[in-house]
Amino acid sequence: MDAAPTPLSLDQLRGNLAAFVTNPYPIYSELREQSPTFMEFVPAGVVPGLDEPLAAWGFMRHADVYAALRDHETFTSARNPLVEKGFFPQLVLIMDDPPRHTRFRRLVNKAFTLRRVESLEPWIARIANELLDDIGSGETDIVQTYTTPLPVKVITRLLGIPGEDYVTFKRWSDTFISSLISISLEERMQNTMEMVEYFGKMAAARRAQGAEDLITALVEAEIDGESLQDWEILGFCILLLIAGNETTTNLVGNALSILVERPDLWRRMREDRSLVEPVIEETLRYESPVQQLLRMTTREVTVSGITIPANELVAIFFGAANRDPKEFPNPDEFRLDRDLRNPVSFGVGIHYCLGAPLARAEAKITLNAFLDRFPRLEYGAAPGVRQSQSPVVYGFEKLPLRLHTGGR
Amino acid sequence: MRLVIDYRKCLKSGQCSYLHAELITADPDGTPRVIAERLGEDLRAAAEDAVDLCPSGAISLTEE
Repeated sequence: MDAAPTPLSLDQLRGNLAAFVTNPYPIYSELREQSPTFMEFVPAGVVPGLDEPLAAWGFMRHADVYAALRDHETFTSARNPLVEKGFFPQLVLIMDDPPRHTRFRRLVNKAFTLRRVESLEPWIARIANELLDDIGSGETDIVQTYTTPLPVKVITRLLGIPGEDYVTFKRWSDTFISSLISISLEERMQNTMEMVEYFGKMAAARRAQGAEDLITALVEAEIDGESLQDWEILGFCILLLIAGNETTTNLVGNALSILVERPDLWRRMREDRSLVEPVIEETLRYESPVQQLLRMTTREVTVSGITIPANELVAIFFGAANRDPKEFPNPDEFRLDRDLRNPVSFGVGIHYCLGAPLARAEAKITLNAFLDRFPRLEYGAAPGVRQSQSPVVYGFEKLPLRLHTGGR
Repeated sequence: MRLVIDYRKCLKSGQCSYLHAELITADPDGTPRVIAERLGEDLRAAAEDAVDLCPSGAISLTEE
């Protein structure tokens, strides 16, 4: 075989990672024509023990992303070199394949069905309104006072763990999600140990005495006469904490910032609440909370004319697929007249986001609660700050807004 | 008893054909297709589960 091609470094393209993370769209658009692009994923030297850069094939076209997501046999989720090298713990479900994935998914689906989520909507709305009561009116960093606590409070209540611990959960979640570049291996492992210990105690308590919550359901669940193993229960709690919080925080924050920029649309939505759903769906496309996830090839495969060997990392760019002009004309415009069925914001196929109905419900409840209370939204005195550490997610670290309760 | 897919609502998540391959298959582009025109009572539980797990609420069960 020929020498391996040199992976494209993001630094060569745009100068630094932070610039890419806070505005990846120009780079997606540059790379899409030649996609799949062999690119640097984790640079050499930043992780102790990682002597060579970790490269991945970046899929930027909607058609390629869609086909890869549907072909989970060629593009496996169960193998990940960062996990294999011990840099990252293996997550249940999203880092798994059938048959174990199927059995687990079947079990946990029940907790997140559309019907079940609809039955939860009244108490989600209550949490949303309590948060807004505390804020009142005037200027507030909505990330701190609303978009972060809402999903954490919802997921902790679903799981059945004390809601006041949400600051600790936020720290765990941030540390877990942060790219390898910004967090030391020791810090990461310490973090994982804290989570395992915490959820281990919670599971043990439910074994002793059950309650009406998800941890009890997991502890008591049997598939084909077999109980879930401890690591599966802990892994699922950690997955919910990681996958369910920051992503929803980002969806809600992205939607609010888009609407602050569009006061006319805000006014129309106040009159016509049927616009809430398309606004959420278009937000998911336009500023996808999850920008990319990894797969690995199990065999040689040709994608858009480029042959990728077996055992190579593939970075699936949801954020790039959702801005592909072949699929979405004028993709950089926020529009409400698009076909809502085509974005890949929640993925496609066997790994389609388990929490999609819950995320949509939280976003819908939020927008309706804000529309009920605030005739006008404005940016605060300080500008919003996007997170700039991880290219995997897209959202705000700070988003000061001025909330107007009176007037028009 | 019949399974009906509302294609205006279907987001092609692929969950139905993944978890209930005995009831629903998928075209190469991901569009789900109901396999059997009529379902017997033995498949009721599976059919109800298929209705329940659709994340976009696009599947329903009719008794006709």
